[in-house]
Amino acid sequence: AMAGGLEPHLEALRRELRAPGPALLSVLLALLAVAITLLIWRFVQGRRSSRKAVLLLGLCDAGKTLLFARLLTGKYRDTQTSITDSSAVYRVSNDKSSNVTLIDLPGHESLRLQFLERFKAAARAIVFVVDSVAFQREVKDVAEFLYQVLVDSTVLKNAPALLIACNKQDVTMAKSAKLIQQQLEKELNTLRVTRSAAPTSLDGSATGGPAQLGKKGKDFDFSQLPMKVEFVECSARGSKGEEGDADFEGLEKWLAKVA
Amino acid sequence: ERGGNNSFTHEALTLKYKLDNQFELVFVVGFQKILTLTYVDKLIDDVHKEFRDKYRNEFQQKGTLGLLNGTFDFKDDFMRLLRDAEESSKVRAPTVMKTFEQSLKSQKTVKCMIETRGEKPKEKVKNKKNKGSKKEGPEAVAVPGKASAGDKQPSAAGEREELTKDEILQKNREEFFKRHMKAGEKSSKSPKPEAQKEKGKKPRVWDLGNSNAKVLDYSNSATNGSAEACPVEEFDPDIALGDRNREPGRLYDLEYESDDEAEEEKVIQNPSKPSAKKGGLGGMFGMLKGLVGSKSLTREDMDPVLEKMKDHLIAKNVAAEIAVQLCESVAKKLEGKVMGTFTTVTSTVKQALQEALVQILQPQRRVDVLRDVMDAQRHRRPYVVTFCGVNGVGKSTNLAKISFWLIENGFSVLIAACDTFRAGAVEQLRTHTRRLNALHPPESHGGRTMVQLYEKGYGKDAAGIAMEAISYARNQGFDVVLVDTAGRMQDNAPLMTALAKLIAVNAPDLVLFVGEALVGNEAVDQLVKFNKALADHSMAQTPRLIDGIVLTKFDTIDDKVGAAISMTYITSKPIVFVGTGQTYCDLRSLNAKAVVAALMKA
Repeated sequence: AMAGGLEPHLEALRRELRAPGPALLSVLLALLAVAITLLIWRFVQGRRSSRKAVLLLGLCDAGKTLLFARLLTGKYRDTQTSITDSSAVYRVSNDKSSNVTLIDLPGHESLRLQFLERFKAAARAIVFVVDSVAFQREVKDVAEFLYQVLVDSTVLKNAPALLIACNKQDVTMAKSAKLIQQQLEKELNTLRVTRSAAPTSLDGSATGGPAQLGKKGKDFDFSQLPMKVEFVECSARGSKGEEGDADFEGLEKWLAKVA
Repeated sequence: ERGGNNSFTHEALTLKYKLDNQFELVFVVGFQKILTLTYVDKLIDDVHKEFRDKYRNEFQQKGTLGLLNGTFDFKDDFMRLLRDAEESSKVRAPTVMKTFEQSLKSQKTVKCMIETRGEKPKEKVKNKKNKGSKKEGPEAVAVPGKASAGDKQPSAAGEREELTKDEILQKNREEFFKRHMKAGEKSSKSPKPEAQKEKGKKPRVWDLGNSNAKVLDYSNSATNGSAEACPVEEFDPDIALGDRNREPGRLYDLEYESDDEAEEEKVIQNPSKPSAKKGGLGGMFGMLKGLVGSKSLTREDMDPVLEKMKDHLIAKNVAAEIAVQLCESVAKKLEGKVMGTFTTVTSTVKQALQEALVQILQPQRRVDVLRDVMDAQRHRRPYVVTFCGVNGVGKSTNLAKISFWLIENGFSVLIAACDTFRAGAVEQLRTHTRRLNALHPPESHGGRTMVQLYEKGYGKDAAGIAMEAISYARNQGFDVVLVDTAGRMQDNAPLMTALAKLIAVNAPDLVLFVGEALVGNEAVDQLVKFNKALADHSMAQTPRLIDGIVLTKFDTIDDKVGAAISMTYITSKPIVFVGTGQTYCDLRSLNAKAVVAALMKA
């Protein structure tokens, strides 16, 4: 009896499907339209939300804010220690002429982590500015900050391109990019051992993060990182003083590549 | 996070600042500390207003590029404002003292200066009158009512020709009082006819005094006694009685202010702000207005929320004064800020407070013990760590935990038993040493003993033992020296001196203050006094202060983790270790976000 009852229903359904009535057709079309819209929207979202920001990080007095001003306006500006972030759209000079958002974050110890948290998810590329003149003195602090940036889980996941800009090359005592690279590698090698050996955090997660920088057995090398790392020398002030232009073609070329 | 106080002193300069949270501007004025300039606050307010109004467009429209490219030529305006402020302060300057020529004394001859009984009281009285009127002269702000009263007074006295010395004295006293009362009234800048009224004082009657009643009569002979002379006060019954409609004799309850009034208050304030509201419709829509549209935060909006947050923090064991200061700085940071759409005041304040707390807990200089030990190893000298704190916080236990951690990382440790007071302190450390050596026998570390105890028994000088221990460690090649000191109360001056001496003489690499997480408001007192003692008794230019904090007994508090905040706020130094139990593995490092989450949890 049940099968008998079902049969006519099935027949009716089959008939409907073969020659769908106007009501059903319109419903199906509407559903299809909604589905397509959702797909397109998600696709566009995915492309758009992909990080369009280039972060300028570094210790205090590394020259981030001056670099920021030079890139955007080309003029020299007297700067103060930043206490908040500044962002602006920068038009890259390449064939595509695309835009990136330059974000200049403060380098002060009490502020830097807080601002990094806020902007790290939007970062497509990171420019880590290093003061080449004071590097010998500050090598531990530079390495510590760089380490904190590199082991951050969001940064490891997105793997934004990293450029280490050795600033203040107009001063005669400035160290070369090669030397800075060597020193940083040595320091980071030590740091990753000490940081991962620190007592575990209160809620169980390790302080150094589950990530181990680079390969375990070998000495640390920047090529072991998941992201592309480059070193470049530049001078925000410029060799001709305040009236002249800044020397940072390497930086501009890299920005054009990344955009 | 310390934004509550708006002035800062450095060497010879004092800096005062003002924040504009709406446009993210900071105005700083600096001046020499020794000058006390009264117009500084007013100047900074004026500059703020002018600058903001002048460049308002640029801020709002052009954004960052505008700021970089624009020129802000404000120098002329600033000089003008500075001049105005200086002028206004000069007017209110205190009165200049009279020069000797101006004073009366130079005009009197020597002869009349000699006081003789009864002789020439007239001149004196006349001089007094002159003095009285002269005093009125040089004063810039002349109050006419006062002047007339002043003139009248000496003239009344001058009528009495013959006055004895006592009477002169009394007259002086009376004038002295009146002058002071005048001065007080002048500062309130309202001429009151009360000066005349004072003369209507009734004469004092001394039972035992046999002086003439007439002499003691201070009243003005002209007006005394007659009732009409008393200026009749304008008696306004309405003002005196207040609400006429109340029932006579009934006591009303205290009126309870409802929320509607608060909403109306907001509506009244907001139209004064140009950037706020579009269309105020009355108190009913106040709440909706708060959600939608751009609204800038005022102090009154934030106060109730901040009160609640402050109580919440105190309930979580944060020291009371620190909770107050924190809320103050959050208020300063948010005042005038424009909120986005669909954000309530509560959420904005909570988020700002959370950020401030995380910032407090994340230290400015991270203390990486292992890194520094490696450095010291390279220089072939031992790394010295000193533990200090009050009684019973867990110094010895945590010292053992830290030495276990160091051994695990391959460093050899020498424990210096500088607690020569407490019974059993040395034995306790000896037991720990034995246990640690059993856990890490010399065989597994290339034949050298990882832990050794350096002790000299009880009753000796702690600083001396520490010095010997350090030189022993250097000779034997130990990597780290952990110095255990006796617990002492922060108020105990001789013991604090002894501790300061130990630290000043031995110059340890790391001074750790051990504090328990159960402590509440006491934490503030302990840390302040410890730091002060260390600073006072050190001979060096830059004294060694507390470098880090060890927070112990963390497993005993549930989520009342406020002690961490109090301690880091007072010292600005990081919490290096957290102790969570009595076994060797119960050593943790601080996770700022987790602690703040526990704090903010309702």
